[in-house]
Amino acid sequence: MSRHRLTVVISQAAGKHPVKRALEEALVAALIMESGLDVSVIPSLYDLSPDHTGRLFLESVHGDMVVLSWLFPRAAFWLLDRDGIKGHLGETLLKPAADDDDDDGEPEAPRGIGAVDVPERHIYCIDLRDAATHDPFIDEVRRIAAECRTRREEKDRAASKPMMVELGTSLTANGTNGTNGVIGEHAATMPTFTAEQLLQAPGRRWYPVIDYSRCTNCMECIDFCLFGVYGVDGLERIAVENQDNCKRGCPACSRVCPEQAIMFPDYKTPAIAGAPVGAIGSLKIDLTRLFGGEAKDAVAQAVAERDRELVADGRDAVGMSVGIAKRQADKPQGPKDDLDNLMDALDSMDL
Amino acid sequence: MGSVSEPLTFMMGKYPAVLPAELRYARNHMWCRAADGRARFGFSSYAVRLMQDVYFLDWQVNVGDVLEVKQSIGHIETSKAQSDLFAPIAGKLAVINEELLKDPSAINVDNHGTGWLFDMEHAEGGDAGTMSVQEYYQFLEANWENTQRILKGQI
Repeated sequence: MSRHRLTVVISQAAGKHPVKRALEEALVAALIMESGLDVSVIPSLYDLSPDHTGRLFLESVHGDMVVLSWLFPRAAFWLLDRDGIKGHLGETLLKPAADDDDDDGEPEAPRGIGAVDVPERHIYCIDLRDAATHDPFIDEVRRIAAECRTRREEKDRAASKPMMVELGTSLTANGTNGTNGVIGEHAATMPTFTAEQLLQAPGRRWYPVIDYSRCTNCMECIDFCLFGVYGVDGLERIAVENQDNCKRGCPACSRVCPEQAIMFPDYKTPAIAGAPVGAIGSLKIDLTRLFGGEAKDAVAQAVAERDRELVADGRDAVGMSVGIAKRQADKPQGPKDDLDNLMDALDSMDL
Repeated sequence: MGSVSEPLTFMMGKYPAVLPAELRYARNHMWCRAADGRARFGFSSYAVRLMQDVYFLDWQVNVGDVLEVKQSIGHIETSKAQSDLFAPIAGKLAVINEELLKDPSAINVDNHGTGWLFDMEHAEGGDAGTMSVQEYYQFLEANWENTQRILKGQI
């Protein structure tokens, strides 16, 4: 029987929200009492720069991992992927408690281009907003630990001798596993990082995160963004190339993406922050238009946001003249869906 | 026009939204109380019922800013909803109710009193751009069916 330890990472909320910090602390206190877990705390995933110790630590973890963050799981997972921390998406059973309604918002099957170079391990992302106390999270981590153990054991039976292939340079080996004396598979390969290094406060950042399970490589975002944020990688896949060129607060490219594959994890609107696609039913009602908001469609709003940033940069506004795909024009007129009907109803109101 | 002193009660399904008659109303569902060239605004009972318990209120503008009508000025999050907030009239933002930023619950408990949102100085003076209680009632009535459909469609 193989023993392996599950890495559990808590990504803190940016800022000093006392309620959030209290939950984080309660979680850590409870998790370190559990056996078979390696628990670490890092600042908000979204803010980690490539050389931040927290990111280096995540990169050093090769086994299964649970990441608890204040982000939508989809956003957290693809944020990690972007940072080179890849794996298969582990399914968490912890879901937002608030919703009594039916669960018919199941996202359709992904049809994007997918991630590349995905190693054989699972990453579970849990949204810390899904419960108010630490208990449900602890239960879920225990369930995941058991699931990973079972999966690992099945794999071990299939391939008689598992081999850990060590990539990268020499890391500080710290081989003993305190609880049972067996050399943990990752414990042996993990560099050591101090808590101070891990928690070094990063600056706040702002950039798009691509969900490659939805992205079809249509290149509309690269055509639309005039700030050079997007590029293509060696495989001709769209990539966020110069993320720090991105304009704080501007989610315009997310609005023009036809597949809802672009997320801004810190944006106030759940649909842009990475909420499950199609699960509008579990979200709060947006009363903006009842309360006097302009009736703009997504493209018009994106154009307005882009023009504002262009002007702020001392450049000329370009309006609709640049990078707007003609897809709306030649798109076959399908039957109206619920969202179309909702928008029609709002348009017909005298607001 | 009916009596000015009697409040009107708009029935939102079973829920009665009481609309005091001495107040004016803006189309964004805020009440308005004008005095000495200033106007105080707060959420109408109709708006409060739509939102339910307010968790978080945030303004993106500062006291002294000159606002255009329908300019985006802030954001609210409640147990059931979230929304951007917009200036009800054009004018200068004179005072913000700071208490609500610490604890917004007064919006639910006392929306016509301690739950007031902000004071503005009218650009046009008087009650420009606001409605009487009768006009607001008719506005609500005309839009109620559609509003319900929208809410049900969204939930």
